[in-house]
Amino acid sequence: MSATITVDTGPLARFKRRRALLQLAAVSISLFMAVPIYLIAVAAFSTRDGLNQFPQPLWPKNFGTQTMETFLSSTGIVAGTINSLIVGVSTLIVSFLVGAPAGYALARFTFRGKDAYQLALLFTRALPIVVLSVPLARAFLATGLYDTPLAVTLLHTALSLPTTILITSSVFLGVSADVEEAARIFGCTPAGAFLRVVLPLALPGIAASSIFTFVTSWNEVLGATILTFSQRTLPAQVLTSLADSPLAYRFAGGLVLVIPSLIFIALMRKYLLNMWGTTIR
Amino acid sequence: MSTPHPIPRLSRRSLLAATGGLASAGILSACSGAKTSGGGGATSSSSTVLLSTQFSPVEEKQRFEKILSTFVTDPKTSFNSMAMADFTTQVKSQVDAKKVQFGIAAALHGELTPLADYLEDVDSLVPDAAAAGIGKDLLALGKLGGSTQKYIPWMQASFVVAVNKKALQWLPSGADVTALTYDQYLSWAQAAAKANGKPVFGFPAGPKGLYHRWFQGYLLPSFTGGVITTFTSSEAATAWSWMKDFWAVCNPASTNYDNLQEPMARGEVLVGWDHVARLVQAPKDKPDDWLMVPAPIGPKGLGYMLVVAGMGIPKGGDVATAAKAIRALLQPKVQIEVLRQNAFFPVVKADLPSDLSAPVKMEAEAVAKQTASPKAIVALPPVGLGAKDGELAQVFKDCFREICLQNGDPKTVLGKYTATVTSILDATKVPCWAPDPAMSQCRVG
Repeated sequence: MSATITVDTGPLARFKRRRALLQLAAVSISLFMAVPIYLIAVAAFSTRDGLNQFPQPLWPKNFGTQTMETFLSSTGIVAGTINSLIVGVSTLIVSFLVGAPAGYALARFTFRGKDAYQLALLFTRALPIVVLSVPLARAFLATGLYDTPLAVTLLHTALSLPTTILITSSVFLGVSADVEEAARIFGCTPAGAFLRVVLPLALPGIAASSIFTFVTSWNEVLGATILTFSQRTLPAQVLTSLADSPLAYRFAGGLVLVIPSLIFIALMRKYLLNMWGTTIR
Repeated sequence: MSTPHPIPRLSRRSLLAATGGLASAGILSACSGAKTSGGGGATSSSSTVLLSTQFSPVEEKQRFEKILSTFVTDPKTSFNSMAMADFTTQVKSQVDAKKVQFGIAAALHGELTPLADYLEDVDSLVPDAAAAGIGKDLLALGKLGGSTQKYIPWMQASFVVAVNKKALQWLPSGADVTALTYDQYLSWAQAAAKANGKPVFGFPAGPKGLYHRWFQGYLLPSFTGGVITTFTSSEAATAWSWMKDFWAVCNPASTNYDNLQEPMARGEVLVGWDHVARLVQAPKDKPDDWLMVPAPIGPKGLGYMLVVAGMGIPKGGDVATAAKAIRALLQPKVQIEVLRQNAFFPVVKADLPSDLSAPVKMEAEAVAKQTASPKAIVALPPVGLGAKDGELAQVFKDCFREICLQNGDPKTVLGKYTATVTSILDATKVPCWAPDPAMSQCRVG
């Protein structure tokens, strides 16, 4: 005698189906991001003749590094990359040194005009740089800062401070005031409590906000073009040139411009989750 | 699925340390950056910087930097190329702040006109320029409408028509491809589109295309003998109707073409008019497949436009050093090298060498034929309009859009834009420039 045991496979199937759909969604979102970059990469490493073919092959069939080599050897690419990195990292540091204390104050203290202050922060972004360009250039010329990475750093810091302050303030909000008090009780000075307890806990979120700062600075062209002359950042150096160049160079330049910020985002990726985790509840 | 990524404590500490390290490194290094101008030396007393709007494409820039480092050694001259808007901002702000960081501002005639007040008088260089063989008319352009010399001509160019030999099979019988009339050009385009199944003629009407120069220097002078004075004439209406018919058999992707050499190299366009420095790239790989011919001839003649680039010295700059570099750039061998490498023609008297590359040779012959034609009507870019130059160009672009793209009636559209042209002229009060007859203040009609 055999009893048939019926197992309800419904939930399992549903679970499997859901997982498959989730995977599918994840894969298609990844493709949405990755395919354009892949296509640019393929085009950047194709021969110039190959680019004129139609339809274009989706794999590097006409592989050639000549365009890339010519582009990379053109004047100012290496120097521009160095300048961009200097400016990006310095912007990150300066805007953190100025912005984090402001964010901490917004998170921990209530003071008169706090809301107005938060709103006023965003006004720096409301004024387009085009309007400011000539006065800015003149001011920097007059102070002798013109044509230095420091000038661009200062401008980029001003541009990124609002986001830095607002993001760090929500990150500090996520760090419980209790742990800070506990640190004080066990003998920390206020500064010590901040440095030893609050900062390490808030660091992941701050690191994530640095992605914004770095990428903003890396991608900013207009201000960098106005404030520099012979010490330009990479986008300022190549962007106008690329717009007038043959298609092949646009692909090569596009790839070179996108890779460093991708690397930076990849490095900071794991902290990103933490930022959204503490701010959106 | 939803396990949060554990972030080890140690890595936070090390990240903090790394940030600290980077902080000191970054702040220290922010004091001095890396130099991105190329060509000659740095900014010491015996060197100068040539700031230009020309030669911005990657390869052209490299070739010009090489010319500078080979031929212009005293003073050493480095090259810095910028888009027009940035160029204007840089010149203005540096001159205003009295801290000029470059020696020579080199740009197209129309780009230097709005900067006249920011340029030093260079009358002292005129004898040298005249001795080098720069024509009187060309030199006079450098006065920018004033009484003193503001720039010294640097190089010149024009626009011609490039033809892929494949398209010759549809050429109307009896037509000479080197002396086409506008009617023949149109019927050729129509026959080619019909036989080929899709248009093979192109027109650089992209956002950065130079098509306004087609109206200002080619179509209107050829049909009407003028540009501004004849703006509303019945000949002008005929010219625009011609344009409408021609547009109907142009590759419709033309509104995306900033230049024609790439669609030509891809085979999308077989025949087209564009700037020589751009067209010269099209026959590079297969010069035997291509011809370059003068622009078509209209009822009034063969209108063509002269493009002139000049070199000025910014106010407050190092005049002596810059003047030396300008003289060096006017040497025939340097000018020939610019033609050889970057397809801009000498302004000085220079014998063209016989060993030019095939595309450059083709181009030089077409330009020579165009200039030497007994029917030639030379047109200049607007003289003395200053910042309004762009507004006038926009009028022609707008007319093109309304007449050809939106199928407007030429007479009505021209009438509508007369007021705009008049207000530009009233604001500037300039005398007419070629091909319009000289009169004290230029007026429509």
